[in-house]
Amino acid sequence: MLYDVAQADTSPAWCPGCGNFGILKAFDAVVEDNAINTRTLVLVSGIGQAAKLPHYPDKPVNVFNGLHGRALPAATGIKLANHDLTVVVTSGDGDMYGEGGNHFIHAARRNIGVKAFVHNNQVYGLTKGQASPTSEAGFTTKIQTHGVTSERFNPLALAICEDVSFVARSFSGDREHLKAMMSAALQYEGFCLLDILQPCVTFNRLNTAKWYKDRVKPVGDAHDPTDRAAALELAFTWGDEIPVGVIYTSERPSFESQQPALEARTLVGSFDR
Amino acid sequence: MDITIRVAGEAGQGVQTTGTLLAGVCGRLGLHVAATKSYMSRIRGGLNWFDVRLGEAPLCAGRDDADVLVALSEAALDVLGGGVRDGGVALYDGDEAPGAATGVNFTQIARDVAESKVMANTVATGAIFAVCGYDVEKLCDYLREQFADKGEDVAEKNVACARAGAERVGALRGALTGPKATGAPPALMTGAEAIGLAAATAGVKLAAAYPMTPGTGTFTTLASLADDYGIVVEQAEDEIAAVNMLCGATYGGVPAMASTSGGGFALMAEGLSLAGIMELPICIVVAQRPGPATGLPTRTGQQDLQFALRAGHGEFARAVYAPGTVAQCGELTRRALQTAHRFQTPALILTDQFLQDFQTNVDEPDRTYRPIDRCLADDAGKGYKRYAVTDSGVSPRAIPGGDAFVVVDSDSHTDAGKISEDLRGHVAQQDKRMRKAEALADEALAPEYYGPDDAERLLVCWGSTYGPCREAVDANNADRRRKPAAMLHFAQVWPLHVAAARDALGGPDEVYCVEGNQTAQFAALLRECGLLDACALISRYDGMPFTARYILEAM
Repeated sequence: MLYDVAQADTSPAWCPGCGNFGILKAFDAVVEDNAINTRTLVLVSGIGQAAKLPHYPDKPVNVFNGLHGRALPAATGIKLANHDLTVVVTSGDGDMYGEGGNHFIHAARRNIGVKAFVHNNQVYGLTKGQASPTSEAGFTTKIQTHGVTSERFNPLALAICEDVSFVARSFSGDREHLKAMMSAALQYEGFCLLDILQPCVTFNRLNTAKWYKDRVKPVGDAHDPTDRAAALELAFTWGDEIPVGVIYTSERPSFESQQPALEARTLVGSFDR
Repeated sequence: MDITIRVAGEAGQGVQTTGTLLAGVCGRLGLHVAATKSYMSRIRGGLNWFDVRLGEAPLCAGRDDADVLVALSEAALDVLGGGVRDGGVALYDGDEAPGAATGVNFTQIARDVAESKVMANTVATGAIFAVCGYDVEKLCDYLREQFADKGEDVAEKNVACARAGAERVGALRGALTGPKATGAPPALMTGAEAIGLAAATAGVKLAAAYPMTPGTGTFTTLASLADDYGIVVEQAEDEIAAVNMLCGATYGGVPAMASTSGGGFALMAEGLSLAGIMELPICIVVAQRPGPATGLPTRTGQQDLQFALRAGHGEFARAVYAPGTVAQCGELTRRALQTAHRFQTPALILTDQFLQDFQTNVDEPDRTYRPIDRCLADDAGKGYKRYAVTDSGVSPRAIPGGDAFVVVDSDSHTDAGKISEDLRGHVAQQDKRMRKAEALADEALAPEYYGPDDAERLLVCWGSTYGPCREAVDANNADRRRKPAAMLHFAQVWPLHVAAARDALGGPDEVYCVEGNQTAQFAALLRECGLLDACALISRYDGMPFTARYILEAM
């Protein structure tokens, strides 16, 4: 017999207390507060616990829940097919910075008009507790039994070096701040990186909610996000203080704005020309 | 009658330029042309050759030997000199030619006449014209036309070079009698170009690929057409990105295509599987070259048939086309795109280096934009379910941006596209998707039978071996002492048209499978489908294309 597993297929698939809930609530509020037309909104994700977010928003949205690590090229294809769509990638640190690292480099290089909201909990959740590219050196797991020996990947610094339109960091525990960062990202044309620090209550006993709370510090008004050197300095600041806020912005034109084929109309709009 | 002119030399010496010029002018004059390229994976040095075969009737393959060898390097003479037919001519770019070759110093003549060694290729073409007994003034007219936009000076210098080349062959003038022009269509096209043009006219709006020989020719063609047809062309960071871009773009509502070769296609396998479960109509050109791994990057082969049939984990429906001619490259590209959209599943086009680079006369191609039917559901709105279960397995397809919310997932999903671990729902969706395979089989192209009805020997082939097999059949049947032969060519290798294949395979006593691989991959497929018991294999996996002679000798 085939058991009716569907009865037990509860939603969401997150642990109680997971930082993803805060991110989802912030996202729902941003959609509501900004009166975003969800018919022209596409949520794109790869695989992982964070990558399930597109299935859970309050309001129905368009969803492309693709392959592990491949959210960005899929999002790029969607944006090129119809650049009138708002394309938001919402995925985790393993998906975006590990499996999808090469795509991250090149999506940033293109400055494609995609917003990447990265749930960065510094650990792999869905595969049960292995190190991620952003795990702290020394972080021990069942795989990294002697501790992580590689250096923490610095997504902010890389994105700043590649001169993307918008680079910010926020924390899942501060909903107002997170909402502000999401809303800000939605105002920019090109590639937007929003790295969202998030506790993993099950697999990361080091970078806990308290650990983040004790460290996050909003960048002051004195910071000029168009100052690349200052932005890089903030990107390299990680320790007793972790800066959150809009770290960097750029005027660089988006990838799609430079495509001759997209000057008059979208690709999908020109199909039956 | 037909003759083959082989221009050979180091990469970077102008082999390609000379061959292209010769093929172009001969096509313009109404000769039947078949041009093939043999080259090494390098930018300078080595040994490349470009064959231009000329005839009075359509030609669909190259030949092993040559009537004229134009050697631009000593190595070209050493390696290819033995391939010149008795009574043929070998010209060498130098004053003193080794062996039986005749020295015509194209480079020095170009320097003397035009102060430009680059025009040595025009000198060589003039010399070839003279040797074949063609009027060099016709070449001159063509040159004036070709260089019209570069100014009169350049054009006239080329004309002077062509004339000088013709004069300097001396007693070899008219040594051979070239075929007569018989009004062949003047336009020439390669397989790679035919695929690119067909894709552009059919409505491909995103071309995303990573350069990989021999697939790159199609990508280059799409790039050259991008401004005219409104195509976004993006060189992806890798083939994984390329295939996922196709998935995104087709989800967004536009046809999208990539070209690659075996190694790149290997990287696309997961994305192909994604298109399978998401039911996205992506289209990929897989231009084969010999493997494993990097193998022989610039040579030809048919080793990736079984890979194309199986690539991608899990089970899903696909269509795999294998054009045999340049004309079929165009026709089947349109068909592949249309099929992919009708059945919302990936379609593959299997070619190889030989066919990608094979250049021949084509009827003036229709360049008008005539997009395929994307088969979209116009009325999708509230409550839309992307994967509604239907009898045909094809669900109404909407695209984002309209009234319907379009939810697609690589995870097993509900009929609404929501991630789901419901085992019953999983089976319902898997069954729904696989019902499309049955409909695809009903649409399969019947194999083409060529030859007499009472043939006792049958050459079974697929893809680019069409031309060599067809010529082998003609040559076989021209010899009354040989048992009559026929060819059965499959331009679609999955799904197979089982009834037509069974019918054709039942007659002849001797069945040969002609394949550019070592393990008889197509014969294995026919056996798997219950269409064939035993057959003889005529295989070639040395990187070179089949020729009629190769096949005849093996029969």
